[in-house]
Amino acid sequence: MNRLDATRQLVRALTDEAVIASLGHPAYDLFAAGDRPENFYTWGSMGVASSIGLGLALARPDRRVLVLDGDGSLLMNLGSLATIASCRPPNLTLLVWDNRQYGTTGGQATATAHATDLAAVARGAGLASTATVGSADELDRAMDATRRAPGPHVIVARVDESAPTTKPPLDCVFLKQRFMAAIGAPESATRGGPA
Amino acid sequence: MTDTRTLQRHDPAAGAATPGWALGVSAGIQATGSRHVVYVPDNPLSHVLRTIAARYPDIATILATREEEAFGIAAGLYLGGGRPTVLLQSSGLGNSLNALSTLLVAYQIPVLAIISMRGDAAEWNWAQVPMGRLVRPALDALGIQHVAIEHHDHAEEAEAAVVAVGTLAFGARVPAACLLPRRVTMPVAATREARG
Repeated sequence: MNRLDATRQLVRALTDEAVIASLGHPAYDLFAAGDRPENFYTWGSMGVASSIGLGLALARPDRRVLVLDGDGSLLMNLGSLATIASCRPPNLTLLVWDNRQYGTTGGQATATAHATDLAAVARGAGLASTATVGSADELDRAMDATRRAPGPHVIVARVDESAPTTKPPLDCVFLKQRFMAAIGAPESATRGGPA
Repeated sequence: MTDTRTLQRHDPAAGAATPGWALGVSAGIQATGSRHVVYVPDNPLSHVLRTIAARYPDIATILATREEEAFGIAAGLYLGGGRPTVLLQSSGLGNSLNALSTLLVAYQIPVLAIISMRGDAAEWNWAQVPMGRLVRPALDALGIQHVAIEHHDHAEEAEAAVVAVGTLAFGARVPAACLLPRRVTMPVAATREARG
C-alpha cells in the first residue's frame, strides 16, 4: 500500500469530515486524491497538524475531524498525544502515514525505521483506541471503526513512499477562509453586514 | 478538558491574595469573548488560572505540553469559530516561532497571547535573560503587536490592556500579545522570596 493510493481510498469514503493535512506529501496527496473545501492544507508549522486537529475538534464537537499526519511530523510533537489523551475529544481521528522516512525532504530515515512504534507511543500517552494497518482492507476496517465508536482514535498506516503529486493552492488566507466557510464557521470579516 | 480547579492543591501561590493585574487579565479574557484558554503554566500565570477557575467557569482551559503545541491548538480552535487565548511564559515564545510565523501569521489566524515575562527587569536568573531580551524584537520581526501592563494592583488597567489586544487580534485577525513584565507580576518582595 503506498500513501497516494491509500489517500485516494480514504478520500472516497469521506462524507463531511474536516480534514487537516500536515505539510508536504500528506497535503499534496490529499489534494491530488480529491480537493474539497473541508480540507485544510498546512504549508508550514511541521509537527503541529495534530494540535490543529485537537483544537478544531474541541471547538466543533458536532463534526468529525480527521488529521493526516506523517511519522516525521508526529515525532516532532509527541506531546500532542498526551494532550489529546487528556482532552479526549470523541470526534478526533489522528491518522499517521508511517513511511519510516522524511519523504518530503529526500527520504532520510525517521525513528520509526529504527526503533519507534508510534501506536505504542500513543497507547503509552493514554490513547486507548489505536490501530496499526498495513493493507487497504485493514485501513478500511480501521476507518470504519472510528465511525462506530467515540474517539479519540489513532491509526498508524504503514505505507510505502509514493511519487510527489500536485500541490494545493498556495494562498494561505484563501485556504483558511474556504475551510471555515465550508464547516459553517465563516470569518465574520468575509460576510459584510450593517454599517 | 482540563479542570484548573484541580491545580489548587499544588499551587504554591494558592494561599496568597490574587493581585489586581491577574484579576484584570482574567476579566479581560472574559470580556474579549474568549472561551478557550490554552496554556503552559508559569508561576505568575497561576493567579490567572485560579481566577478563571473561580470566576469564569464558562472558559475552558486546555493544558499543552509546550508552547508551539499551544499555538497549534489555538489555531484549530479559531478555525472552528472560537476566539482562543494562549497563556505562556516568554521563554516559551522561543519554542513557538515556527507555528507563529508559518501558521498564525501566514494564515492570518488571530490569537490573544498573554506572555508572562522572564529575563526582563526584576529577573534574578541570568539563564533567562538572553531569551527575555529577544521577546520584543522577535514579536516586532513577526509584525505581532504587543502592549505591556504597568501596575501590580490595578485590575482596570490590566483588563483594558487585554481587551485592547483582544480587539486587535479578533477584529483585525492577527495574533497579538499582552506582555506581563516581571516587575509587575513579581514585585521585589515576591522575587526575593522566589529566589529563596
